[in-house]
Amino acid sequence: MSFLKKHLTRLLILASALSVSAFVGIDFLSMHVPDPIYPNPCQKLQLSDYFKPLAGTAGDTDVYIFEGDQAGATVLILGGTHANEPAGHIAAVSLMENIEVDAGRLIILPRANNSGFTHNDPQEGNPQRFMIKTRRGERWFRYGSRYTNSIDQWPDPDVYEHQPSGQHLSGSETRNLNRSYPGSPDGNLTEKIGYAIMQLLKQEHVDLAFDLHEASLEYPVINAVVAHQLAFDLAAEVVMTLQMEDILFNLEPSPVDFHGLSHREWGDALGIPVILMESANPLQGRYHGKVTPDIIVTGKDKYNLQAAKSGLIEVNYPADGIPLNLRVARHLSGLATTFDIWNSSHQDDQIIVKNIPSYSEMITNGLGVYLK
Amino acid sequence: MNAELLVLIAMMALFAIAVFIGKYPIGISLALASIAGALLSGFGVPFRHLVEGSISYLDPILIIVTAMIFMEIIKETGALGETSRLIVRYFHAYPFLFLTAITFFIMIPGMLTGLSTASVLTTGAVVAPALIAYGIPKVKTGSIIAMAALYGMIAPPINVPAMIIGGGVDMPFIGFELPLLFATVPLALFTTYFIARPHVSRGVRSEVLEKISALTQDIHRARLFLPVLVLVLLMSLSRLIPNDLTSLGLPLIFVISSLAAFRSGRDFNYWKVAQSAIKKAMPVMGILVGIGMFIQILSLSGVRGFLIVNIVQIPSYWIYVAIAVSLPLFGAISSYGASYVLGVPFLLALLGRNEIIVASAITLIASLGDMMPPTALAGIFSAQVVDEPNYFRILKVCIPYIVITAFYGVMMIIGANWFAKYLIV
Repeated sequence: MSFLKKHLTRLLILASALSVSAFVGIDFLSMHVPDPIYPNPCQKLQLSDYFKPLAGTAGDTDVYIFEGDQAGATVLILGGTHANEPAGHIAAVSLMENIEVDAGRLIILPRANNSGFTHNDPQEGNPQRFMIKTRRGERWFRYGSRYTNSIDQWPDPDVYEHQPSGQHLSGSETRNLNRSYPGSPDGNLTEKIGYAIMQLLKQEHVDLAFDLHEASLEYPVINAVVAHQLAFDLAAEVVMTLQMEDILFNLEPSPVDFHGLSHREWGDALGIPVILMESANPLQGRYHGKVTPDIIVTGKDKYNLQAAKSGLIEVNYPADGIPLNLRVARHLSGLATTFDIWNSSHQDDQIIVKNIPSYSEMITNGLGVYLK
Repeated sequence: MNAELLVLIAMMALFAIAVFIGKYPIGISLALASIAGALLSGFGVPFRHLVEGSISYLDPILIIVTAMIFMEIIKETGALGETSRLIVRYFHAYPFLFLTAITFFIMIPGMLTGLSTASVLTTGAVVAPALIAYGIPKVKTGSIIAMAALYGMIAPPINVPAMIIGGGVDMPFIGFELPLLFATVPLALFTTYFIARPHVSRGVRSEVLEKISALTQDIHRARLFLPVLVLVLLMSLSRLIPNDLTSLGLPLIFVISSLAAFRSGRDFNYWKVAQSAIKKAMPVMGILVGIGMFIQILSLSGVRGFLIVNIVQIPSYWIYVAIAVSLPLFGAISSYGASYVLGVPFLLALLGRNEIIVASAITLIASLGDMMPPTALAGIFSAQVVDEPNYFRILKVCIPYIVITAFYGVMMIIGANWFAKYLIV
């Protein structure tokens, strides 16, 4: 009794802390439930099929292979390298739920860094999920983090030294998949994911590869196509073709001395032409106002607009915002145009993909029409 | 009135009431202000956001607590006193060399870890008795340690704020060595000399030596320095040969070094020393938890966007004033946070000037946040190291040097392209 009396306040504080922990813990754990994907007929593998030690870890992820009746080129598309860049993930999902491949093979990883989908970046106040209206009703998707979950890879070093280049980046970048390539079989989880993707590229003899991203509005490389030198001519033609359709992309060469990125290391190590595409995510960056899941979908935000009027951001930001369907449409039109141009110069090694939603269709009909 | 401005005013007001009228600890006051901000913004009490924000600084908290335990242990064994005695013995006749050696010595852990507290709690604690014995008052000793620790945190090879800014604009941490040396070394030496100069006179030196010799006569020196050697070795290994074996992380390095102190000098009780160290570090740990929540709610409520858009769009030359004022003030919450939240937009607003020089200067100015209340990590720990109960006395001595540092940083930004000709190789 006297013990209770003496420690009552402490016990109450401890009990409150435990209750909050349990309540919040359940909320955090709910992020581990994957948002459903309903792909068209295809073969489903795991990334660990290309690198066994990844099996059973948070880094393992679904790999979907769409194979045409005719032989042709093998193309890899990565969505969800950064789980807080939803246009990349949703573009991959909308492809998977609509396409049919006639020639060649299309390999899609909609959640390249699966662990990144299971948490949010601290201090950003981001939502855990957002909703898209489809013909069947509302469908939910996770809004995750740029990084591998600290639960799966911790602690960060003070400084991340990229291997083998020796390049130094801040410690948290050790959990950034798009700084991890070529990866390492003995490295941390993110480096193992990077290594497994390199193995996939190698074992599947990929001819052309894409990595779909978004960027903050103040970031100079935005609404852009970043191309390894092996893909630069192809990317230049894509940008010019899209320009004629009033879909504007900036063309950026992959920096030769910036290591760990897909568009640098995949090309250097495997001789594959690589293209990375960036759209503009109004919830990334530092200028946006109050955080709601709606900003992700509508792309509307008053402080982004104010920043745009003051010339602080790098894209044209209209009062109607930059909605998700527009950002996804940009990615899909970039992919479709690249396939067309590739096919015109690779008659014996084509990639023919039917039913990719066109730019104008997606803008007119909305994104939900192309999601099951 | 703008909704975000109202929320900001309410959060600041509640924080001030909780601290000054309610007499709550700063960490608790920050948590209360965060809850108020969330309620006013229509988010209710968002437990998930409060916990997510509070965990942001888990790693620095672990470093602080383990470094604090290490510092208390080497104080107990006598290693601190003996180091001071050696520094005084070999350098006491040459004040210029003495102060130069001490300044670089304080800076080293910050240079290796990118944390000012690492400098304050390790080499800062080691040299404090030497400086005091040399005749420098304890408040000024604390000021020298705090300022040198700030410059150490920014000096190469490791500058975490620069890496954070680089991460926001895809700029690798390459080519920063000379600009960062230029940003820190002249200021560090200038600050130490000017704070210490009135107290460095020839008369006291032999007395100093006698006074400090008496502290540690009966201890075996090789064993005594084992924990410090282990610390230096492990820290260096993790930098020189970074791999799974050597990259232990600072908390584990401090724990291993603390264990190496067993029977190295005067006897001590690990349990009691650890308890006392955690008790000393508790307020700062609480502040870091509260700050994490505070920033999370600033972002969630849109106050962060409101603040940044209005600060960064300041026209023309006022941007330099904004940099000199807002970075240290925001750094009061966290210098890393200031680099993350404000450093990137400022760098982008200044495109056209050499980015490496601008980023180096921004980090120099942001580091001043570690001296600003309420967190004032470098200042508060320096006060503890010299047993000064009132941290504001240390801040008062540092104010002219803080202003000079901000001015120096702004000059670097203004002349970035000119400096780049000489500093970027």
